[in-house]
Amino acid sequence: MDVVPFAMGTTARSWDEQHLDLQAAAGQIAEAPTGGFTAGVSGAASRFASAWQRHATELGDTAEARADGLRTSAADYVRTDQGVASDSFLILDVLREAR
Amino acid sequence: MTVVVTLPPAPRAVPELECDPGGIRGYGADLLAASAQVDDLGTFAAGEARIAGWTGLGATAYHEAIRPTGRLADAMSLALRGVARRVDQHADALQALLERRTTLAGEHDHLVTTIAGLRDRVAAGTEAEAAAIQAACDDCAARVRTYETDLDRWATDLMAEEEAMREAFARVQTLDQVERRYGGLADPADGALDSMPGSHAPPSEVKSWWDGLTREQQLAIVAASPGSIGNRDGIPPWARDAANTVSLDRDLADWGNLEDQGVLTDDERQWLDNARAAQDAIAAIEDGTDPVTGLAVSTTLYVYDPSAFDGDGAVAVAAGDLGSAHDIAVTVPGFGTDGQSAPYQADRTLDLYEATRHVDGTGSVATMFWIGYDAPDNLPWEGEGWDAAGVAGEGMASAGGDRLADMLDGLRDSRDGGPAHVTVIGHSYGSTTTGLAAHDHGIPVDDLVFVGSPGVGGDTDSAADTGVDPDHVWAGSNSRDPIADLGNHGWVHLESVLGGAGLGDDPAEDDFGAIRFEAESIDRPGHLDVGEHSNYFNHDTESLYNLSQIVSGNYDDVLTADPVTDPWYDSPQDPEWDRDPTAPDTDGKP
Repeated sequence: MDVVPFAMGTTARSWDEQHLDLQAAAGQIAEAPTGGFTAGVSGAASRFASAWQRHATELGDTAEARADGLRTSAADYVRTDQGVASDSFLILDVLREAR
Repeated sequence: MTVVVTLPPAPRAVPELECDPGGIRGYGADLLAASAQVDDLGTFAAGEARIAGWTGLGATAYHEAIRPTGRLADAMSLALRGVARRVDQHADALQALLERRTTLAGEHDHLVTTIAGLRDRVAAGTEAEAAAIQAACDDCAARVRTYETDLDRWATDLMAEEEAMREAFARVQTLDQVERRYGGLADPADGALDSMPGSHAPPSEVKSWWDGLTREQQLAIVAASPGSIGNRDGIPPWARDAANTVSLDRDLADWGNLEDQGVLTDDERQWLDNARAAQDAIAAIEDGTDPVTGLAVSTTLYVYDPSAFDGDGAVAVAAGDLGSAHDIAVTVPGFGTDGQSAPYQADRTLDLYEATRHVDGTGSVATMFWIGYDAPDNLPWEGEGWDAAGVAGEGMASAGGDRLADMLDGLRDSRDGGPAHVTVIGHSYGSTTTGLAAHDHGIPVDDLVFVGSPGVGGDTDSAADTGVDPDHVWAGSNSRDPIADLGNHGWVHLESVLGGAGLGDDPAEDDFGAIRFEAESIDRPGHLDVGEHSNYFNHDTESLYNLSQIVSGNYDDVLTADPVTDPWYDSPQDPEWDRDPTAPDTDGKP
């Protein structure tokens, strides 16, 4: 088994960014203006936006879960493997969630 | 004897149609921008998210888990993109239905008036006139029947369009539906992007590649990879606008979200400010009204890169349709210009558009401001001074000239149909940039205009050196503008006197050989005033009037001025100093 905790940490941060991007996308869908549609269509447009806000939010949550999972795996490895102890101060920084 | 005349039936009124196609397009634009975000996750999951060198059970579990995430993201992106496109078509369809409704309403009113007239004729008519009146009634009745048929067809088409839109929404409402419809499908953008010419390919090659794609591939790239084509020379204006609009909407949502959460970095703050400035610039132009048609002015977001030039930003927005306009004007601004100047430049662009339409409403025009190079941050006497600002030298103008030449080549090559009449207008330090672009690259323009120029580049000693016919090289120089007084005069060349400082010759001087046009302000002061440097694009000024005549190719209507002279025995002499300025009407408003 080979473990690359630094790469896992940086990839986790990329998943975090994806999470943030999808949060933004979910907000954008939710705020998409339905006022221009005719009365016969605006309800369907609202329902669609509402459903897709949830879909985008859930996809973002999945991304966040991937990030957290990677961080947990890498942190476990750093804690249990004495071989990387000397580098742990470098790795631990990247294993912190930046935003 | 009583004669019976049968009047035509009264036509039904046209039902109201309350909708806003522009608002519907806004809804679609939001979905399209969101689809680009989702697409990014799919790309990420299939690429950067995979961790090389990590093996073992944990690694296997991770890599197996992210595969379906990527597949779902790809399918969601395609679904969202499809609905966004359908929404756009819906907006077009409703626009057409609104126009048909207007026609029907006009026909309805005409029929009602005609029937009222026939009723009067019946009331006042004689027996002898009965046959003629009946014939007129029969004609009108036939028109009523045609109208009613058209009205029914219109109503049927409206219902069908509404139903189709509702179905498009319902088809991909749930993720199960998304998976069934789009799961595992290849993105049409992927294969098309694989064949995209390299970054050094000329615009003509990029245009050929683009023209070889299917419409589906083109639209897929706009949604999935807007950054790859938004600023690429050779891509047609409509596609650049569509792609840059997706990027702008996405950036506003992304960085706005980070701002709301309080985690925006300093760089992102600057980029967000640039994005908002671009949005404001577009809104400023779209708030304008075409003086000929009375319709709102359309825009093209031709360049958008909020992080360019160390965060200063690059942006170009056109008023009008760059892809089809007969007359195109590109304005190159100078000192102190960056991405956040976009709304200010947009106002000038709109003024030039309105003035050109006002003086010559027969053609079609597009005017664009181009913040596509790294301009000096400040005026010479502001901030850190000449050298620190990089103003005194030509370095930034030279680099900008390279970019300007590329952009103009791309604009020429990307258009279908006949070539446009293109005018490039360099203002302030932008005139140095424009002069260097012309001298160093031979830019493909019909008219070359310098306004408020501090010099057009050290190697350009005359209009002929620009590579443009001297009869189409123009200079506007307000006698009170101190920036326009900075260029070399006579035999004194500042770049040699000041050890490399100075920006070249004054294009308004007689030795240069450009055609000088009047550019004075009626409220000019009796002394040099930097405020005059910013008046060239104001409505009801000599300058804007003349610029609009040049842009529209009405050269005989340009109000020319005598050039500056520089006798060996005295300082430069400007005959415009003592002339009484005028205020030609450029917008039809009092």
